[in-house]
Amino acid sequence: MAEIGNKPPNTSSRRAALRAGMAMVSLPLLNIAARAQSARPVTKVLDFQTTADVLKAEAEGEVVFYTHDGDGAAAAVVDAFNNDFPKIKANYVRAQNGALYSKLLAERSAGRFNVDVIQFSEIGTAIDFQKRGGYERHVSPEIGAFPTKYLSPTPGDYFWMGVTFGGIAYNTNLVKPEDAPKTWKDLLDPRWRNAMSTKQATSGMQFVEWYELRRLYGPDYWKQFAKQRPRGFDSRVPMFDRLSKGDDKVCAIAEYAGYLLYHQKGAPVAFVTPDDGLPATPVVAGAVSRAPHPEASLLFIDWMMSTRGQALYQNNLQLAYNSFRTDAPPMPDGKRLSDFKLLIPTDMADYLASHDIFNKEWNAMMGL
Amino acid sequence: MPRLSSRPRAVLWGQYALGGGVALLAAAFVLYPVYFLLQAAFDVGDPDVRPPSAYGWDNFAALPDYSKILFNTLGVAFAATIMALVFGFLTAWILNRTDVPYRRTLEQAMAVPYYVTPLLGAFAWSLLGSPESGFINQIWRGLGGSDALIDITSPFGIAWVMALFEGAVAFVMIGAVMKSMDPSLEEASQVIGGGRWRTMLRITLPLVAPGVLGAAIYVFAEMLGSFSAALVLGTPARFYVLTTAIYQLVSQYPPRMSLAAAMGVSLFAVMFAMMYFYRRLMARGSYVTVSGKAFRPRVMQVGRLRWVLFGICVSYVVLAVVLPILTLFYASVQKLAVAFPRLSDLTFEHYREAMSMNAVRSAMGNSLLLGVSAATIGVLVTFLLAWIIHRSKMPGRGVLEYVVMFPQAVPRLVFAFGMMWAWLVFPLPIYGTLWLLLIAYVTVFLPLGVRTISGVMVQLDKSLDECGQVCGASWAYRMRTITMPLLRPGLLAAWLLLFIASVRELGASILLMGPQSKVLTPSIVEAWFASGSELTAAMALIQTAVIGLAMAVFTILTRRASQHKG
Repeated sequence: MAEIGNKPPNTSSRRAALRAGMAMVSLPLLNIAARAQSARPVTKVLDFQTTADVLKAEAEGEVVFYTHDGDGAAAAVVDAFNNDFPKIKANYVRAQNGALYSKLLAERSAGRFNVDVIQFSEIGTAIDFQKRGGYERHVSPEIGAFPTKYLSPTPGDYFWMGVTFGGIAYNTNLVKPEDAPKTWKDLLDPRWRNAMSTKQATSGMQFVEWYELRRLYGPDYWKQFAKQRPRGFDSRVPMFDRLSKGDDKVCAIAEYAGYLLYHQKGAPVAFVTPDDGLPATPVVAGAVSRAPHPEASLLFIDWMMSTRGQALYQNNLQLAYNSFRTDAPPMPDGKRLSDFKLLIPTDMADYLASHDIFNKEWNAMMGL
Repeated sequence: MPRLSSRPRAVLWGQYALGGGVALLAAAFVLYPVYFLLQAAFDVGDPDVRPPSAYGWDNFAALPDYSKILFNTLGVAFAATIMALVFGFLTAWILNRTDVPYRRTLEQAMAVPYYVTPLLGAFAWSLLGSPESGFINQIWRGLGGSDALIDITSPFGIAWVMALFEGAVAFVMIGAVMKSMDPSLEEASQVIGGGRWRTMLRITLPLVAPGVLGAAIYVFAEMLGSFSAALVLGTPARFYVLTTAIYQLVSQYPPRMSLAAAMGVSLFAVMFAMMYFYRRLMARGSYVTVSGKAFRPRVMQVGRLRWVLFGICVSYVVLAVVLPILTLFYASVQKLAVAFPRLSDLTFEHYREAMSMNAVRSAMGNSLLLGVSAATIGVLVTFLLAWIIHRSKMPGRGVLEYVVMFPQAVPRLVFAFGMMWAWLVFPLPIYGTLWLLLIAYVTVFLPLGVRTISGVMVQLDKSLDECGQVCGASWAYRMRTITMPLLRPGLLAAWLLLFIASVRELGASILLMGPQSKVLTPSIVEAWFASGSELTAAMALIQTAVIGLAMAVFTILTRRASQHKG
């Protein structure tokens, strides 16, 4: 398990120092790797570095982005890229993660290569796509700003574009602060029976919560939780919509990004940070092999990894994915990722191997 | 039998060549994706490898695990169909066969629920009738009531919303049949002492039976494939139907496409059993009401009862149109939609945001273009198909009626996967373009067009056409001057239905849209998932207004054309 401390931003610790040291060691290595593998000249565009040939990318004139994100979020990304590179028309196709992957594989097996860059909401999908040789290996000059653990095992295939994490939220009109659940185990209190929301098995975030809390409290935790008859939803917005209107009292996997969105709207919701940590899942992006617009796809990846791309992903509340860049600015509410103790699976083999059990258990819990 | 001379024989072959060509093309459009769906349903190998690496029955063997969901689906679909047919028949009868006041205005208002995407109907009723936050229940509690007055998330509530918004098609289909009915039989019944209700039940109802049965089959299939109401209202109550279960199965990783395909394919059996029943019933009797005898559609004088009937129609319009649209508007002008907002929380920001989205503007244009194209091509194709099925002696015409019902028999989300696989490997570069969406819409709405036009066609006496033939008129001339004018109400209704169905299409569009061929309804659904109910309400009202405007233009144009001819 990786823990990004539950401490103030500037607090130092031996582990942090060790991590910083590791990162410092890895940076030059990655830069060397970048130079060795790409053997392309690095140029500065706007305020970031790229190995893409910008003139060629502009001559290609288009870049096609496949994403799991909703229309509003996807449009925000391509519009921002279009503003920065008006000669390259960025277009997107979006669908839920599973359907998107099915579509992508079907296209490729039919010999149609329509996509330049892809973003998944589930790291297992990215790993599977890597095994199929789907990524174009591109070691971006911006890669040095990312700790190695947030890159594909062989850097250049995919990277962790950002992270979303969740805690517990409750409706302040219906639940007094002293009665609100403070820990994950408090969710098993019978008073929340038929009054709690979670996500469906379609959610990568829900899979991480299931995996991490099972690791912390054992499989019995979810058996007890199932007795609460939670209601399942596909995305964070309908969950917060219901919570703020009193249809549910508690949200058992409340994404912080959703909380910020509804807090800003003035909704009666409060966010709880359990001491044991907050399940977190990355969104993963990479350039696709046999892309129809190869230079534009590399430029798009470099732009995504850059400070400006990462700032967009972090600050736009429809995206609201926090950056793993070591120089990432604070979130819109002034907090930093390091202010939260995140629970991110580290044993990827075990995590991926448990996906089928999760799907089966979670579908049954949701009444499917 | 005298031998045909060479010219009539050539003409007959010409007809068969044209009809056969259209029939073959339509069958190919339908069966080509169905082949890929069947392939997926029997796929027991790596689901991400195409073509499948192994075949077997495992996916079908897993279906009993989902028997509760199948039971939910059939129960809700049956209840919603009954409600939709009762609403549809009653209101169609009132507006077409009685002298109810404000008929024309009511008739236009009755079709409005069909303009609105079912998601929006579900969404509006969710805002109205959710047990805790529903406006009706909040007002009820504000007045001193306890608990919830209504629960729209119950199976009955879901069926109610499905009937109001997806069942509105029954009104249009049955209405088209009633418009083409000679009233002399009803008048005869009244002359010999049959009361109004007795006449309606004993004369009108049996005469419009083909239309009602056609509508019943179509509406039941529509309800089996209904997605939005079950998603918005059923999911929060842990109530799943096949479509919402399939949606979950294909959206999760790894997607369980093969199981979803098996679920979809198993619905073919239900649909074809109903088709068989329909054909048996049609074969038993004659339903001709338009013969060589001239008639003018007349309405019954119902006296004071007209105001009661007016009240019934107005109640329907209020429940299905006025209340949902007002609710959506009320939600769309709030920062956070609640029953009792503060003045400071009122805003038009969501409309500004919706109109500023580039994707929405281009999607709206694409939706309208596809709506007009799919409706126009669809009416021509389905008219010829209905003619082949009901008027020609072409071999295989019975099979054709079953074939064109395939797209209706399976949830569109699943059929869309079949179409995606099929058109991906087709050696023409139409994948990801508007052409693919056009083909998809024409294909998935073949059942709608055929059912609507067939309902009217079986009312036409064949002798009218034969009369023209005896007088030496060519097939094309007879079509243009006899059949098509008599079918005019059915053709107009079909165009209208196909246009609206195309503009609001969701299931196939989600998967088949390309980067430059986006349409509007998926964007609205996305707004619900990602932006909140207020922006969704604003986008839905914009879509409804655009469709309403297009319909107004269509109505004015057809009215002018009629006056010009008259």
